[in-house]
This record gives sequence, C-alpha cells and structure tokens, in this order.
Amino acid sequence: MMKRKSDFIRVNIADEKLLVPVGTQVMVLNGLITLNNTADCAWELLAKERSLDELAAAFAERFDITLERARADVQTFVDEIARLGLLEP
Amino acid sequence: MTAASDALPTDYGPLVRELQHRAATRRQPISGTFELTERCNLACRMCYVRHAPGDAERRAKELSATEWLELARQAQDNGMVFLLLTGGEVFLRPDFFEIYSKLTRLGFIITLFTNGTLITDEVAKRLAESPPSRTEITLYGATASTYEAITGVTGSFARCCAGIEALVKHHVPLGLKTTITRQNVGELDAMCLMAHNWGLPFSSGWLLGKRRDGAPSEVVDCRLSASECVTIEATAQSPAAAWAEFALQEASLWHDRNFNCQAGKTSFVVDPRGEMNACLDMSFPAARPLEIGFHDAWVQVQRFVESVPPMSPICLACDVRVIYCPRCPAWSYLETSTFTEPIPYLCEIARARQKRYQTQASEIERNAR
Repeated sequence: MMKRKSDFIRVNIADEKLLVPVGTQVMVLNGLITLNNTADCAWELLAKERSLDELAAAFAERFDITLERARADVQTFVDEIARLGLLEP
Repeated sequence: MTAASDALPTDYGPLVRELQHRAATRRQPISGTFELTERCNLACRMCYVRHAPGDAERRAKELSATEWLELARQAQDNGMVFLLLTGGEVFLRPDFFEIYSKLTRLGFIITLFTNGTLITDEVAKRLAESPPSRTEITLYGATASTYEAITGVTGSFARCCAGIEALVKHHVPLGLKTTITRQNVGELDAMCLMAHNWGLPFSSGWLLGKRRDGAPSEVVDCRLSASECVTIEATAQSPAAAWAEFALQEASLWHDRNFNCQAGKTSFVVDPRGEMNACLDMSFPAARPLEIGFHDAWVQVQRFVESVPPMSPICLACDVRVIYCPRCPAWSYLETSTFTEPIPYLCEIARARQKRYQTQASEIERNAR
C-alpha cells in the first residue's frame, strides 16, 4: 500500500502541472516537479492509500488501456516518486 | 534593498524560463513581489527605496498581516506561484512570521531578500522550520570599514556575518550577492571568497537606479563607469559567448516591446501600502487589489504596461538598442521623468557592451543563419 506525502502542493503554470514542496520538504527537495497527465492522475489517486493493483485498475479504466500496460506505467511512476521521496514511508 | 535591478527573483533555470514565456502569452501572474516595508535598519547611500526604521507614518500605512495574507490568497487564485518577500528590511516587521508562516503553507516558491543583520539564531531556527526556497543576503563589503561606510550603521557588518552564519548553521537555503559601488568594488574578490568559504553561491549587480520616489540620493556618486561595469560583467558573471547567446535569445523575444521583461506579462509588485505596480522601480499604475480585487488590479497593470508610449526616436534608431541596452520605461522615468527618453549612462553601457560582445554576437547570429 502507498500514499503520497502531504507536503507537496499542486500548482498550474500555463496548463503545466507542477508540484511545489512546502514546510521542511523544501530542505529535501528544493525545486519543482512537473507532472504529465498520467502522473497527475496517479498523484490525485494517491491522496488516499492505494495498492499497486488499485492504481493499475484505475489507470486502465481512465486511459482505456490494458491492465498489463497500466500496471507497467504505474510501476514506473511509483518507482520514480519513491526515488524522489514523495511517498509516505 | 539597495538596487531594484538586484531585486529580481532568483533565476530558477531553463524550465522556469520556458514556463514564464508560456505564462506570458496568457498573462498569468505567476511571479509576485510583496514589498512588506520600505523601512530599513541600514541607510545605504545608493538605496532606491529606504526609509528610516522608526518612520511611524510609513509604518501606519503598511498593510497588516491579515491584508497580506488575503492578497496572497487572491494572487494564488489568479495563478501566482513564485513569491518574493522583500523590503526595506522584512525583519523589521514584528509580525513577519505571522505573515511568513502562513504563506509557506499555501504552496508558493518563496524567495526572501534581507540584509541579514536582524537574523538571530532564533530567527534562523524559525525559518528552518519552513524554509524559503532561497534566501538572498546582500553583502556591502568584505570588511567592516567598507561595509559600514556604505550602510552608515556601526556594527552592521558583524551582525550581517552573524546572520549568515545562523542561516548556514540551520541549513536555510541561502545565496549571497553584492551591489557593486565605487566604494566597495575593490573588495569584490574578497566578498566572493567570503561566500566561497561559507559554501554559498555569490552573484553581483552594478546597475544602480535612482530612488523611485524621486527623493535625492547619492546613487550617481556610487555608480561605476560604463566600462568598469562591463569589465565586471564580462569577468564576474559569464563568458562573453554565453552572455551574447542569452542576450540574443531574450532580444528575439522582447525586441518589439517597451518593457523587455516580465513586468505586466507574468509579474507584478505590491508595495507596502497595498498598491500594485509593474515593477519595483516604479509606482505605476498603483492599482488597489484589496479594494477592486486582485484580478482587476492585475488587468490595470497589464493595461499600463501596454499603454506606455514607444521609446524615443533616438532609441529606436540606435544600433546597439536591441541586444546591449538595459534601458526600459522604468529607468527612463527614474532618470528623465518620461517613459521614453534615453539615459546617457545606459547609452554608454550599451556601447561598452557592444565593444565587448559584438564579435561573439555576430558569430552566433551567423551560425543561426
């Protein structure tokens, strides 16, 4: 199960979706993170605790893709945000 | 603060520059400057804004913490992402943390400009609880005698150094910069070394504007000559080829405009009285966001920028205008009380830049063709 950290705020610049760190998170990740549409969707879903299977199922439905491909996409995204420290431990 | 030209928000890199250009086409006000006070505990000779720290009349007219926060919420609803907090000296406000702490929870990329002299260990510790993306402190010299000859306040050099050390100790993101004047130019290398020894980035600026309220100042006595400015620019900031490439890119974007910057396109300033202006150098159009709403005030700023008359025929005909000249309507106003007329000092700088960079610029243009 996984959930995103709460100390990032999503903002928009000219329709580009970005994450801004707040609080002490600025010390850890002092910068901006850009989100493409799929990453933005996953970020919204991860406001609640989710399993990889739940995320993949939501992706498959939202983007009309196979469950297998959705699982691969979600895994890539989750690996990346885990590397950046954006998930709750 | 000493020079409005130094008071531009930090360069966030190519991604943000690209986002700025895209935001400009939509007139999204992504970058705001909140000038919390014009009062300062230092009395720098070349400052464009400074008033006495105990100026009760000015203090009474400053927006309250509640008003700044209401303004921030409205600005955020209209698309503000980057927020610069500046003064005067922001830490003169006893309610600074009442404003700052709430702003940090709203999700802005915050930059904080300060002279550092009021930053105690306790202040640094509080900042570290929710740090700005960047703090910038201006050094006015590498020795107490030079620093204090500029700031006019005995003991200010030691307090500034203590403030820097407190921020370093608490790992608050920090950069140092200097406003180069005739009085401290001899200590430029030593200031750079100080920053290096603290492990901090260092930058410098030399374009000193007159006071925006038109009051007398010593700025002209503090300015370097045009050739000194360009020599420093060429050695201290970037190699000539990099400068020329960047200048050409910017010129291709903004050459047909009076304001060749983000003013009124993506950026705005709110002064301590709550008046929204195009930039820190000017008090126009003095829109009142807390009375008419942020959106309508922002529209007034855009209209003001678009309505400024074209530059003078002398400037339009000038062969060094597009790439090399830093003139803008705000500078014309500060120096000539018009938005349009050339400024001899900037003309000299433009000519000195041409002399320095034209080989590189011509080469880049030839390659582009």
